[in-house]
Amino acid sequence: MRNPIFTRRNLFGATAAGLAATSLGACATSGSDDEADEVTVGEDAENPFGVDGSAPLDVVIFDGGFGNEYAVAHQEIYNRAFPDAEITHLATQAIAETQQPRFAEGKPCDVLDNSGAQQIPMDSLVGDGELAELTPLLDAPSYDDPNVTVRETLRDGVLEMGTFNGEVFALNYVFSAWTIWYDAKLFRDQGWTPPTTWEEMLALCPTIQAAGIAPWTYAGQHPVYLYDMLLILAGRHGGVDVLKNIDHLEPDAWRHESVVKAAEAIAALNSAGYFLEGTPGIDHIQSQTAFNERKAAFIPCGSWLPNEQAAIAPADFEYMPMGVPYFEGSVQPGLISAGGEEPFVVPKNATNLAGAYEYLRIMLSKEGAQIFGDTVQAATVVKGVELENPAAQATDQLVANPDDLFQPRFRFWYTGMSDEVKAALGALASGGSTAAEFIDRMQTVADETAADDTIEKFRHDG
Amino acid sequence: MKHGRYPFILSFLALPVGLYTWLVILPFAQAFQISLTDWSGSTNSFDYIGFDNYVNLFKDERLVLPALRHTGIILVVLPVVTIALGLFFAFMLNLGGRSRQGRIEGVRGSKFHKVVYFFPQVLSVAIIGILWKQVYAPENFGGLITGAMSAVGLPAPVNGFLADKRFVLAAVIAVLVWSAVGFYLVFFSSAMASIPRDLYEAAIIDGAGRFQTFFKITLPLLWDSVQTAWIYLSIVALDVFVLVYMMTPERGGPDAASEVVGGVIWKYAFNHGEQAFASAIGVVLFFAALTLAVVSLRFGRREQIEF
Repeated sequence: MRNPIFTRRNLFGATAAGLAATSLGACATSGSDDEADEVTVGEDAENPFGVDGSAPLDVVIFDGGFGNEYAVAHQEIYNRAFPDAEITHLATQAIAETQQPRFAEGKPCDVLDNSGAQQIPMDSLVGDGELAELTPLLDAPSYDDPNVTVRETLRDGVLEMGTFNGEVFALNYVFSAWTIWYDAKLFRDQGWTPPTTWEEMLALCPTIQAAGIAPWTYAGQHPVYLYDMLLILAGRHGGVDVLKNIDHLEPDAWRHESVVKAAEAIAALNSAGYFLEGTPGIDHIQSQTAFNERKAAFIPCGSWLPNEQAAIAPADFEYMPMGVPYFEGSVQPGLISAGGEEPFVVPKNATNLAGAYEYLRIMLSKEGAQIFGDTVQAATVVKGVELENPAAQATDQLVANPDDLFQPRFRFWYTGMSDEVKAALGALASGGSTAAEFIDRMQTVADETAADDTIEKFRHDG
Repeated sequence: MKHGRYPFILSFLALPVGLYTWLVILPFAQAFQISLTDWSGSTNSFDYIGFDNYVNLFKDERLVLPALRHTGIILVVLPVVTIALGLFFAFMLNLGGRSRQGRIEGVRGSKFHKVVYFFPQVLSVAIIGILWKQVYAPENFGGLITGAMSAVGLPAPVNGFLADKRFVLAAVIAVLVWSAVGFYLVFFSSAMASIPRDLYEAAIIDGAGRFQTFFKITLPLLWDSVQTAWIYLSIVALDVFVLVYMMTPERGGPDAASEVVGGVIWKYAFNHGEQAFASAIGVVLFFAALTLAVVSLRFGRREQIEF
């Protein structure tokens, strides 16, 4: 039996008397733990969740790379259907600072875009049972066609990221892939062929250097930018199960020869001097700027990069994605880290639960998804949104095979491992540690996580 | 008249004491309570788990123990260096010049220097962080110090100072000293102004040099000010969160080489969703600060000199 938190009586019981003169209510946390309602799917295709048209809706949007214009447009669609609903719209980067206290109070918002560096850790929200399960939304008729469910309008593999042990707790709205970027114009002008294998890439590096350009750069201060590169390199070589074993905290998963080979390859890039000098000391903006200035040939990043850099990069810069060059002899060379990002969640204790589901259903409508695509030039998880730019089309080809889509998840499931992999990757790529030390370090933290009963464990389906 | 005094005083105290209890004491008390639970921070239920958080805290080799070590280092280095520099500059600017016609003055241009030294004090910490991040950057990303070092042929860290485990903590401390020394210069200057000049004149007549006047007259008479400065600087040293957050890779990196206690509390509370564990660290920090204040007030006490 869990205690309701920090009611006045509780605190007085737990701490010394003499505090009686003051009210705790406003201090930190108090509130009731009401039995949460559940949303069910009704018969009415227009309003399947039975939204109360006069109930207010409280929406919190992460005001990051995608801004919040698109959300305002989504809210207009909501108001078109429910003109009386008053929508509170908060756009902020400080998600945890502003929203965590509301969860603690038991009075969270209705729709939360839990993204960015200040996101509330998903593992703790899920572990605490603070989120509503989204299956009713997925089984509801889609906004545009009552004969098609919402689930059927989505691209393959996009629910994976928001699925925790088979239950969908987050709708990751933006479809993105982690790829290696290069400037197609630079490669054309220099007569270089974009490498498909790691060996080709290594063979090309001296040529790139001879042109006065560093082969690689990355956001050295945020080594997490190497996370997908290293893991997909290993996964391509040994097959996706290598990565699943890592996510499942299997014993010796990190010691698999493919992972060791990938770690050695990253360390070798550093020892060969293939990283732009000073790279470990720069942040993502500096590394991307250096890339725009054609000081480096390759940069690992997500598929939002060209849109983000559109106004900054030189006019003739041609952002092109490629998969991580794979080792010769790789068993699954098409493997790619792609799927949903930008998790939208509905708190279980939301006041207007039905309205929140309806809002997400609107986001996933053709019109809603196209609004997002038009405003920020990025793909959503909804099928059939057309984007004009060549980089997006090239990314679409890389992610064409649904069997090759896989997002390594341990970083999102286990915050402690996330911290460790960032630090370990930074050391590995800057010469601070050897590949063997990196592997030992990650295996240690994986074993510790596996042995810790207080941490809820998650698994991939199938 | 006398019997009405206490209600009168109490009526004045009720509001401030009430506010203090409500806004300071109660949250502290609540932190103690929270530290005994497994509360994540984003739910409204929890279990009591006794002192587990405190036990685990001292086993955390990744964040907490490095942070305690680094905060310990800052706690020693920051006050010593800042006070030493502050005293030195204050002495030179007020008393260190050559005595001309029997008048004791500071070095030439001392008024100008005082203003310049005070500049960092008027900048917000956020600006200082961004500024110095750039100053410490790698050479081919416009780093000022690395650039200057290699211009004169010295070996500079190729990735800048902040990405180097060996230098990052020293780099942070240097910024702290830089931004604090101006204030303590002014602080000690005003204290020095209250030392009667005839003491110096007598000492100079007796043949004392700058060195002797400083250690035999100035320092003993400034002891109270030094002690106050020490406590203030110790409080600053226990924080340092903002600079680490603004400047260092991964807000405490690389690889936890610049983690401080304040930053680790923030990481556990907001990044890890372990408010209870963060509260436990906060409680430890609270007792450390309390001990520090008591000890420095106890052992710093000296005889007052009347003049």
